[in-house]
Amino acid sequence: MLTFAFRKILTLLGTMIGIAALTFVITNIAPGDPARLVAGPNATEDMVATIRSEYGLDKSLPEQFIVYMGDLVRGDLGTSIVTTRPVLEEVMRYAPATLELVFVAMFLGIVIGVPLGMLSAVYKDGPLDQVTRIFSISGVALPAFWFGIILQLMFAVDLEWLPVSGRLPLVTRPPEFVTGLLLVDSLIAGKFSTFWVSLQHIILPAIVLSFPCLASILRVNRAEMIEVLQSDYIVAARAHGISSFRIVALYALKNAMLPTLAMIGLRFGWMLGSTVLVETVFDWPGIGLYAVSSALSSDFKPVVGVTLMIGFFFIVANTLVDLAYAWIDPRLRKA
Amino acid sequence: MTALLDIKNYRLDIGTFDGPVHVLKGINLTVNRGDTVGIVGESGSGKTVLVRSVLGIGPRNAKVVEGSISFDGQDITNLPEKDWTKIRGIRISMIFQDPMTYLNPLFTVGRQISDVIAAHEKAAGTGVSSKAARRTRTEDLLDQVGLPNPSMLFSQYPHQLSGGMRQRILIAMALAGKPDILIADEPTTALDVTVQAQVLDLINSLVEKLNLTVIMISHDIGAIATVAKRCAVMYKGEIVEQGMTQDILNRPQHEYTQRLLAAVPDIDIAPEKVAAEATAAKPSKPGHLLEAIDLKKVYRSQSGADFTAVNSLSLSVKTGEIFGVVGESGSGKSTLARMLMRLIEPTSGDIIFDGQNISGLSGEPLRKMRRHMQFVFQNPHSALNGRHTIGDAIGEPLRIQTNMSRRDIEARAEALLDIVQLPKMFKYRYPHELSGGQKQRVCIARAIALNPRLLILDEPTSALDISVQAQVLDFLQELRSELNLTYVFISHNLAVIRQICDRTIVMKRGEIVEQGDTEQIFMAPREDYTKALIESGRKTSQAANLQV
Repeated sequence: MLTFAFRKILTLLGTMIGIAALTFVITNIAPGDPARLVAGPNATEDMVATIRSEYGLDKSLPEQFIVYMGDLVRGDLGTSIVTTRPVLEEVMRYAPATLELVFVAMFLGIVIGVPLGMLSAVYKDGPLDQVTRIFSISGVALPAFWFGIILQLMFAVDLEWLPVSGRLPLVTRPPEFVTGLLLVDSLIAGKFSTFWVSLQHIILPAIVLSFPCLASILRVNRAEMIEVLQSDYIVAARAHGISSFRIVALYALKNAMLPTLAMIGLRFGWMLGSTVLVETVFDWPGIGLYAVSSALSSDFKPVVGVTLMIGFFFIVANTLVDLAYAWIDPRLRKA
Repeated sequence: MTALLDIKNYRLDIGTFDGPVHVLKGINLTVNRGDTVGIVGESGSGKTVLVRSVLGIGPRNAKVVEGSISFDGQDITNLPEKDWTKIRGIRISMIFQDPMTYLNPLFTVGRQISDVIAAHEKAAGTGVSSKAARRTRTEDLLDQVGLPNPSMLFSQYPHQLSGGMRQRILIAMALAGKPDILIADEPTTALDVTVQAQVLDLINSLVEKLNLTVIMISHDIGAIATVAKRCAVMYKGEIVEQGMTQDILNRPQHEYTQRLLAAVPDIDIAPEKVAAEATAAKPSKPGHLLEAIDLKKVYRSQSGADFTAVNSLSLSVKTGEIFGVVGESGSGKSTLARMLMRLIEPTSGDIIFDGQNISGLSGEPLRKMRRHMQFVFQNPHSALNGRHTIGDAIGEPLRIQTNMSRRDIEARAEALLDIVQLPKMFKYRYPHELSGGQKQRVCIARAIALNPRLLILDEPTSALDISVQAQVLDFLQELRSELNLTYVFISHNLAVIRQICDRTIVMKRGEIVEQGDTEQIFMAPREDYTKALIESGRKTSQAANLQV
């Protein structure tokens, strides 16, 4: 198991290098002269040349690549043109908000999706199955920005149950920084009122973000459960007198969870990417919103930084999924 | 004495898309305490549906039309689910055909058995005992079914155990509730010959020790005869004959039973006719068609450990002969067969086909070579693509390997169907519309489409019923003389090997244990392993051919 984990971590490093190389290529394919962009519209040729050498843009591409990779290893993602602060620092500042949103959305997706999938497999073609089918198809089909606005109009504007946007009201002081996740930090600090307020803020964007994910977890889990429930060992368990509840919730679910886990890993990465839309709609101060505002002001270093960050979390999540696979399935462990 | 289990005029329909199918048609069967009853029948005869109905785990869309099943005086025909908990697994329990698929792969053996114990305790209302107590009871059960080192087994997973061990574990599970009736559904079908004999012995000893009542179903009348004193023969949803097993074996009344018994290959009968034919055919075409020299296949697992599937094996197949390869599962038969066709790359060694070394071939020359050697797979149900018609399946090799026009291919496919004795109209059908034997004929037609010189048959009859097996074997022999074919015939069934093969090799753990003329091997085996193999094969074979 340990060598297995070690090998997975090595793969993780390899993939990170791949992503870094890919982002380098993409930034160099993008049209426009970065030096001229940095220098601004009124800059003279001399100023552009100075900036070009300052940023190392006059060197050959392989040389630039080595410098770029060297910087990455040292954790240097460059400096934002707009804020003139290191990109790494900014990304680290915005990342917790996004991660918090994604974690809550993922939690909703799993906690609702898995049991619903299980139930619709057990009562296949029954009323519940029909309802979840409509539910999950709309989950995949509804565009996030539209669904988000509808929820805002209903629950925030009309009913006034929940806040429209943001992470905390301006008047609320954020709790002391420990993990950066407000829900966690407020509990650590013992401020339950802050916890409650931030929960109210996160609920709508988390629902919007989790909906497609929930739908696909539900469908995968349902399909797997249907298959597993027909397998021989389930027939045997029934014949041996094991109760139906135990058969479904333990014997079958554990087997059905394997493909569901793969879907969860994939959806995690997808969610990180989707935060760009959801954060814009809900004005959520995460890396998605940061990437969008940077891109709009032609500030490309932060965009690359965010891309790398999302890639990193995606790989970590999938490595965790691989490890969970081995933990659940003894047949994979011996490798 | 009142009957323990009484099935009266039981009729069962299964609802399908095309309307109800009458699966059981008026079954009458009585089982008394201490009885050992066998139910023999081919696949699709309804025997599995019948015994599953006794446990209330029949197919979902099944409907009882008429009749009843009563157990120990209680009518259980339409018992509600909650009342089943007091019977299922406790008073009536069941063991299954394939011990691999009937054990949950993600839970340890100990966990699975203790769960069954806990479920029974809950159903009995006595309260679930402690983990340690259940562990002790589990280890006792494992010991009872003759498994060594129960405390280590407790924390092992199914994939770490052999087929025979897994079947013993399923038996241990079935015994957990101290059942009145043990139903055994084809308990030996998926096991090797030597293991089959052991499992049947175990069931027999448990019957004696625990005074069990056993209902065993099987298509293998030999296995039934080893265990069951009474026996019923099922055919198309009906019991066509029942009585004492010995009487049925000696004086079968029903025409179907007679056919079934005639089809059982006898390990102790030398097939004179075939042997004579073979020797007559030999001198006309001398020489070796296929040779393997020092063939070796080593698999490397991810952890770096080596597993040698086939070890330095040399053999030569003469033109026109049927070359048998016999061995238990894991002996490397299938790996060998696939290497001979270069479907698997050998680690080292040479394969010489018709004087040409084909082990170095690749790309186009290899593809051209392949038309001379074809493969027939074990399971005809999975060897045909369910979405292609039979005509497409047979025409496929022609489309790949030749430039024949569509019309020519069609004509050739019809001719091939004719050769394998199937109606021409079958080319429009889909695989699911055919029976197992018909499908295997289609697979053979596909294999001979390109007029190959060599057919490699990997357990071609193992997935088929006995009467169908006999037909396919006869047909294969006819085909050989008609088309001048050479066969490499792989099987774990010794009686089949003896019936059909000219020369045979016996394999064990990737090596040849013994080789020579088939008759010589059966009459005077030199190696202990071969002797043991023949002895276990004889056990069930003899039982089926009881002559008092």
